[in-house]
Amino acid sequence: MIEFIDIHKAFGSKQVLRGVSLEVKKGEIMFIIGSSGAGKSVLVKHLVGLIRPDAGRVILDGVEVTNLTEEEYYPIRKRCAMVFQNSTLFDSMTLLDNVALPIRKHFKLSLAEARSEAKAKLALVNMEQHAERYPADFGDGMRKKVAIARALTLNPDFVIFDEPTTGIDPISANIVDRLIRDLSDRLGVTSIVVSHDLRSIFGVADRVAMLYKGQLVLDGPPSLYRETDNAIVQQFINGRPQGPMEV
Amino acid sequence: MTKHTQAYVAALSPTQRRIAQLGVVFVPIVTQITDILRVGSLAFYYAFKKPIRWREVLQQSFFIGNRSLAFVMIVLGFLGMILIFQSGFQAKRIVGDLQGMGALYLQLLFREFAPTVTALMLATRVGTGIAAEIGSMVVTEQVDALRMNNAEPIQYLVVPRLLASIVMTFVLSCVALCVAFGTGMFVANTVFEVNVATFYNTSLLEWGDLIIFSLKALAYGITIPIIASQAGLAAFGGSEGVGTATTMAVVNASLAVTILDFVLSGVGYIFFFS
Repeated sequence: MIEFIDIHKAFGSKQVLRGVSLEVKKGEIMFIIGSSGAGKSVLVKHLVGLIRPDAGRVILDGVEVTNLTEEEYYPIRKRCAMVFQNSTLFDSMTLLDNVALPIRKHFKLSLAEARSEAKAKLALVNMEQHAERYPADFGDGMRKKVAIARALTLNPDFVIFDEPTTGIDPISANIVDRLIRDLSDRLGVTSIVVSHDLRSIFGVADRVAMLYKGQLVLDGPPSLYRETDNAIVQQFINGRPQGPMEV
Repeated sequence: MTKHTQAYVAALSPTQRRIAQLGVVFVPIVTQITDILRVGSLAFYYAFKKPIRWREVLQQSFFIGNRSLAFVMIVLGFLGMILIFQSGFQAKRIVGDLQGMGALYLQLLFREFAPTVTALMLATRVGTGIAAEIGSMVVTEQVDALRMNNAEPIQYLVVPRLLASIVMTFVLSCVALCVAFGTGMFVANTVFEVNVATFYNTSLLEWGDLIIFSLKALAYGITIPIIASQAGLAAFGGSEGVGTATTMAVVNASLAVTILDFVLSGVGYIFFFS
């Protein structure tokens, strides 16, 4: 289980998180939604130590992981993979080498062993035929699929998806959604998904948490978001330009 | 300023507020210097720790060396001609004898001109390149992805650039010295009719000159990539952040080269030339 307890974070004079507390249960698919700049990505990066909180605690399976050293975060990052918003593939490496990188770094395997393992993960996202090509040859959607394959190479217990379906076509978005669902159903992987995509939210999520101005507005199953009379949530869900939300 | 900070500042006495204003100026400078020292010390720590990405070191050497070669040669070549042209006229007017010009010029090139001007060129050419490349990787989360893959960004990105820069700054300083001396010799010969054999005079060169030349090239070769990398690693906020990082890299690296030049010239004077 993942627990964020009263997380505060500011960048310079900008207060991004103002005391967010959230729990994610094992095997659950938790969507974190909210307008741009609400602090969604900042919150999830606290789990793997990419961002350290100004105040508050992060607990992973009962162990505090709030302010560890980089070396102490290595085993955490082996268990918690992350698919970044920008795909973050390394342009100088082939798709196969990109996917093989975490295996080589975490398990110290030989290049040949790591590449064979990586090929199997590329097959999961139907990209094995492009293994020897470079990221620059592909659009955002295909790069994102490879980034997901890379995140899955270490067979993680937790996966953080930062806007996995943003900027990709509906078919690829469906494949990604199904992959997230399968990871939870078949392997018990816990997923935290930062998203704006309403179709994914109502199609895949077990639970949804909405952030607004660095605070938690609502936390519950997707059905609650249709029923609630919270004006901020309703404006976001219905995409209304007028309302209490400052966009 | 957050509401909490505003309330805190409002409660300060006038004297405390004046001290706080000093902090507004000095805290960012001190923070940046400590961050540069942190990146530098970590880069040296990882430079002696395996694995070193030698292929990347070679690629960076090509980027720093080969791609800066024409730039450094052209700038130093023209500066060499201008320097001899201007100093030749002055010397002719005051002393009338140009026989010692070559020896003095060579000494000046070793002690000052070749390593420092080369470093200032590299601070712009290489400093911006490093800051922009690393800065782009930071704002597109590639550095975070490296950290997620157990790859320490300083070991992975800064160390190859540091090693390449140490070697190539020295090599480019040697090339710059030769080019500036050659073009200076050309102007001395064609404009002032100084014989080539007379101009090529190493009688004033001492071991101290060679040591100071090497020390300066080494110090600049270390300083430029570390300052540029720190600027890149501190980038935030998209393309605007990358722009700020590159500007910061050039300003800080040029400043550092100038200050180091002053310090090392002083060291040279105390130990070798006094």
